[in-house]
Order: sequence, then structure tokens, then C-alpha cells
Amino acid sequence: MNTALRLDQVSSGYGAAIVLRDISLEVGMDESIAIMGKNGMGKSTLLKTIMGYLPKKSGSVFLLGENISSWKPYRIARLGVGYAAQEHSIFADLSVYDNLSLGLKNLLYFKGRFDEILRLFPVFEDRLAQQAGTLSGGEQKMLLVARTLILHPKVIILDEITEGLQPSVIERLAAALVYERKRSGTSMLIIEQNIPFALKVADRYLIMKQGELIDRGNTGDPGAAASVLRHFQL
Amino acid sequence: MASLAQEKRAPGAPSFLSGLKPGRASLIALAGLALVGAGPFVTDAYLTNTLIKAFFFGIAAITVDILWGYAGYLTFGQSVFFGIGAYSAGLVFTYQGFSGMSIALALGAAVGAAAILGFLAGWLSFYRGAAPFFASIISLVLPIAMSQLALSGGSFTGSSSGLTGFESFDFSMEEWFWIAGYSLMACGLLGWKLVNSDAGRILTSMRDNSNRCAYLGINTSAINTALLAACAIAASLAGFGYGSFSCVVAPELLGFSLGTEFIVWVALSGRGTLWGPLVGTVLFNVTSSYLSGSMPFMWQLLLGFSFVLVIILLPGGLIPLLARPFAVNKKSVPELVEARPGEKALPEKGWPHAIEMNRVYKKYGSLSVLRDITFHAESGELVGIIGPNGAGKTTLMRCLSDGGERTDGLVKIYGNDIERFPPEQCVRFGLGRKFQNANIFDSLTVAECLRLARSIKERPSFLEKKRTLALPPYVLDVLRLTDLDKKLPVPARDLSHGEQQALELAMVLALEPLVILLDEPTAGLTKAERTRIGKVLVSLARDHGLCCLLVEHDLDFVKEIATRVIVLHQGCIIMQDTVDRVVDSELVRSIYAGTDFYAGPGRKGLREGAA
Repeated sequence: MNTALRLDQVSSGYGAAIVLRDISLEVGMDESIAIMGKNGMGKSTLLKTIMGYLPKKSGSVFLLGENISSWKPYRIARLGVGYAAQEHSIFADLSVYDNLSLGLKNLLYFKGRFDEILRLFPVFEDRLAQQAGTLSGGEQKMLLVARTLILHPKVIILDEITEGLQPSVIERLAAALVYERKRSGTSMLIIEQNIPFALKVADRYLIMKQGELIDRGNTGDPGAAASVLRHFQL
Repeated sequence: MASLAQEKRAPGAPSFLSGLKPGRASLIALAGLALVGAGPFVTDAYLTNTLIKAFFFGIAAITVDILWGYAGYLTFGQSVFFGIGAYSAGLVFTYQGFSGMSIALALGAAVGAAAILGFLAGWLSFYRGAAPFFASIISLVLPIAMSQLALSGGSFTGSSSGLTGFESFDFSMEEWFWIAGYSLMACGLLGWKLVNSDAGRILTSMRDNSNRCAYLGINTSAINTALLAACAIAASLAGFGYGSFSCVVAPELLGFSLGTEFIVWVALSGRGTLWGPLVGTVLFNVTSSYLSGSMPFMWQLLLGFSFVLVIILLPGGLIPLLARPFAVNKKSVPELVEARPGEKALPEKGWPHAIEMNRVYKKYGSLSVLRDITFHAESGELVGIIGPNGAGKTTLMRCLSDGGERTDGLVKIYGNDIERFPPEQCVRFGLGRKFQNANIFDSLTVAECLRLARSIKERPSFLEKKRTLALPPYVLDVLRLTDLDKKLPVPARDLSHGEQQALELAMVLALEPLVILLDEPTAGLTKAERTRIGKVLVSLARDHGLCCLLVEHDLDFVKEIATRVIVLHQGCIIMQDTVDRVVDSELVRSIYAGTDFYAGPGRKGLREGAA
């Protein structure tokens, strides 16, 4: 098993509207892929489809060797997937501590892993008791990422997590994701508008347009940034 | 989540009548007229009697559908107003006798009492700061309280047996049938005009997002209260008719179970369609009056079961399903045109500061989020506000746009003190605010969202749907830049995140604000879109004298468009200077920008890639 995530001719959409057309892609173990493209092209829809929030019209999805095509989101998550949605989907009425510890199977891990989180987001120091809904917009985004990372997932799926974060935090986050991969061989599928961040975190990039993958490349190639940027011109 | 989405979708779903040409609509109206006209001659006395009562109930059901299906206010208490109308007739005719004078008195009592109680209930449910569940609680308490009142009225109200045998209008059955039938038709038509007019969309928008409404200058609590009072009066008049016709008024008419029955009828026959409840209520009442005779217990059980089944399987209701084969699914899309420049007050020389904040504090309990904020900004300026996450940037925006927010200090917009005014008042000083997370109306289309955003500039019509949508040129620019002009008929919830952000920006600009607060206006947009939007903002400041306050993390973007930068850190302003000096300062680098990506060694390659 050397594929973490594989999509086979997946189509999906909302109601009668088809948003994704026959998407096939593969994320290897220990590989990180960034999907980029303009707005309204179906990027978030792709992640929602993988995570089982949207029914597939056709095609299948394999995750860590299992065919998860018709699985419910909670089952997919239990396989070891950490998904940070684009919406601020934190539990606003719960405390920071509850938000972070809810998904942990054993609270014994909490202290050690929270220390790791603190290195990445020192703002949470002494703020475990605070109600999550009273955090600022950017802090809520950090909490969302922290909640994903604290589970030590095997596959990380992130939807525009840099939005609304200050530059120094974005920079630290990129470093943390790179480190996490080196240490535990995590696979990643990320969606980004922030091109420098995406190029730093990912090995390969895919460009999505009108629900199809129209271009791809390695982030290490010379001129990768320029060729990504070409697709963003109006 | 799925069921919620479905529930919200019901009212916006393409309905059988929404695409009708005027020709077909008047055909249906004519058919209705003929049907009611001929009705009493083709039905027997029992059915005529049943239908007349059903017509009166139908009017009440329509008001429930307007409140619940469109405005999102689930009321169990509409029976109270129906009962008030019935008791007005019963009490006045019993104790004052039947005369021209007493008819006027009874009608006055029906309208007056319903209006007062409706207004009171509306105010209690929707006053500023009322929790969302107040409305439903009050709608539950009212029928219980009112039927208790009727029960404990002794011989005056007839207690549990109510009032019977009072003298009433001397109409024949045919005449009653026509009065009730045509009243129902008129009521349906009026309601239909209302909910399908441009103004009717306000009802849906308040249900979707009353916060956004307030920041578009729409006074939601006033509209909700007025709507509740109007629906109360309509239901009361229907009750007046019912009481005068049947000459029996009993506490059940005020009670909770009739109120719930209204809801069951509306849900079964198609909530949020108006004509569904109209037809459905009549059908259910007729069926019920026949079946409850032959199987009194089974019938209630059957009704209960079908209610649950329909809620689960057919959230859209039964009647629209029957009519689906005839549906014309066409949404009209208005044509975009440029708004004629109104007599907009352009800021002139010698005007006071566009924004003035003087010693503003904001505390949550003992925690100070903003401390001693003092600054001003002028017309034509684009001021960037930067600072670490959690520095208080969004709180600052909130204190500028809602008078109730700050703990202490003074905020003025072009010299106008915002005192403790609510957002909808601040908007009228020329303020527009875009939120951090896209704040739009999910179930409205792009075109409808934009039309609502114009409602304080151009009062939407109560009677018609305009074919054109007039917007200021810079709003049209934003729409074209983000391709939203091609998505006018798309419901806003189906837009991508970035498109929703752009839509909100367009909505805020459609207010033609003089001062605009933008909380991360370009979050979720691509670099190219950012640049183009930036140009629109710059030209707004330069050519239209707009003062723009901008919270943004993209320092490149700030550099491109801002004239000045304010740095916020832990609730205090720690620096105000030109963009270059701020971005290159050691202080900002250490608390905010970091070293590697944007400011450090190695930055060059990445920067060029991003620029």
C-alpha cells in the first residue's frame, strides 16, 4: 500500500448541477499535494466529496486501502483523516480545551500534544478555558488547524487554512506541516490561494478549472510559481 | 444539516405559479371567481356550511404561511387572533344587540385588540437583543393564556361552552359562501403579491440573516413587528367572519390546538407557497368534516401520521407535488443597469473627519479588548489596519458600526455622534461594513441579494418585481471582475467561498457608503482578483471621496492600495505611519510579519512568485 488517497473518475455536485467531472488523482503515502485554482471551480466541493459530505454521482474513492466511496463522514474520519473545512466550523459554545480534546481517543495524550500545538500557536497558552466562539476570527482558524493536527492524522486535508492568518503565523504553520511530514510521514491534500505557502508545503500541485484538473507540476521545478500564476490571470 | 438545508430550501423552490405569465394567472383567478360563484348551487347545505368555515380558516392559514413559510417565524398562536375576532363578534352581539353601531364596535374591537396584542407580541419577540427563541415561546404562551382567560370569564364569556345563539348578520348561505370565498381569494391574492414583490424578499432575508439586514440599514424588528400585527389583524377579521357566521364562539378558537392545526395544514399542503395552504386548508377541512363523522378517532390518528410522514418524506408539502406536472420552472433574471447618480452627498472640503474615534474602550468583563483608541481618517483615504490575530481589529470595526458595542469613548462619522444607535441607524450615516466571514442571504439569489442591498436607496415595491436592477457603476465593476454578473439567478448558498466574499463586497458597495469598513475584503480571492478589486477601491477613494478602513493580512495588498497604516497590538494602537515605514519597521516585523516568507532572506523567490 503506497497510495494514501486515490480518486477514480469521481463526479459530484449539488442537486442537478455537476460541479466535478471525472476527477482522478492519487496522493502517495508521505506525499503532499496542493490543489489551486480560481474561485468557484470546485476545489472545496472536491474535498467535501472525499470526506463524504456530498454524495458522489459516479466514481470511487480509496483511502488507506479502503474503498470509502459510500462511507459516512464519521467513519472516514475514524480511518485517520484530519479535515479542516473552510468555514469556521469550530464548536463555538465549547471551550478551547473541549474543542481540542473532543476527537482524542485517550486524554492521556492531551498534555504532550498540546505542548506541540503551543509551539505552533502560542496564543493558546493559558486560554484553554476560553469559550471558542469568543476567539477572534484568525484565532478560530488556528484552533481549527490545531484541532486537526492534535489527532496526529495519517492524512491531512486542509481547505484554505491560511485565510485570515497573520503572515508570521502562516510561515510557522508551513514549517510545522513540513516538519510533521518528515516526522510521521503524513499525507496531505491542501487547497490554497496563498501560492508561496502552497509551494512550500506541497510536492506537487494540481490546477482545477470548471471542475476538471487541467494542469499539474512539481513545486520544486524552476518556474513553478510562474506557471501556477498563469492560471490565476483573469 | 441536510434536513435543515432542505427546510430552508422549500420556500425558494421553483413553484408552480412563480413562472406564470400574467395571462395564465388571470385565467386561474377567473376560474377561482367562477368556482366560488357557482359553489353554493352545486354543493349541498352541509358541504356549503363546511366550506364557508374552511374559507375563514384558510385566511388564518395564509397568515401562518406568510409568518412561518416566508418570514421564518413559527407561530403556534395565530389561533389567538382568530379567536379574538370571533369573540369580538360574540361578545358585542350578545351584550350590545345587533345593530349598525354594534357591528362597527365589534369590528373595531376585532381589529384593535388584534393589532395591540400582535404588536405587543411582536415587540416582545423581536426587540433589539431578544433571543431567537423568545418568539416561539411567546407564541406558545399566548394561546394558553388567552384560552384560560376565556374559560375563567364565567357567564360573561360563557366559560367552556362559550357564547351561542347571538343575533348576527342576516345573510343567506349563498351570500355567506361568496363573502367567505371572495375574502379568501382576495387575501390570497394580496399575500401572493406581497411575497413575490421585491419587498417580499425582505421577509426571506430577515429569516436568513437578520444581522446582515441591519447592516444594510433594514430595521428588522420594526418590520417583523409590523408584519406580525398585520397578520394578526387579518386572522382576527377571518375570526370575526367565522364567529358571525356560525354564531358559536368557544375557547377552542383561542386555543393552542387550533394554532397547531394551522401549522399542520400549512406544513401538509406546502409551506412557503401560499397557494398550497390556501387550497390545502380547504381540502383538509372538508375531508376532516366527513371523515371525523364516520371515524372520529382514526381520523385524528391518520392526520397525525401523515403529518409526520410528510415532514420527513415531502418537506415541500403535498399540494405542490400534485401541481408539479404543470410547473413552469423559470426564474426571471433582472437586467443589470447603471444606477443614475442620485443626489448623493459627496464629502466636501471643510467637512469634519470621516471617521473619528476618541478614547474608545471595549471590555468584556475584566478583559480589555480595546484600550484608548484614538484616531481619525479623512475622506479619500484608504487606511490599512494590521496587527496580529486577536489584536482587536474586528472589535474596532464593530465599535465603529454599532453604537451599542463600545464600553466607553466617542465615535463620530462625518461629525455625527453614533451614540448608542443600532447598526441600521449607523448605516444611514453613510457607513458600510463587510464582515470577515461572508455575510449574505443564503436562500436568495445573487440578484435578490443585490436588490435588498439597495433597499435604503431605492425602496423596493410591495406590488411588483422589477425587471431591471440598477446598481452604481463600481458595483457593476466588482460583479464583472468576479464573474458574478453571470450568476445572477444562482442562490447565494451555491456560490463558492470566494464568490460569496465578492458578493458581500458588492452588496456593501451598493449602499453607496461614504465610509466603508472592510474586514479582509479579499480573503478567499485569488491574487489577480485582489489586484482588480484593489483598483476599484482606490478609484472609489480618489473619485468618490470614499473613506475606507481596511483590515488585511496581505501586506502586499495593503502596500498597493493603502495611503496610511495603523498597527494594532493587544488592543492598542502602537503605530500610525505611511505604508512603507510601517511594513519595514522592526516592530511590525517582530510581532507580525515574520522573517522568512515576506521579509527575511529567501523571500525574494517566493515574493516574485506571488507578485
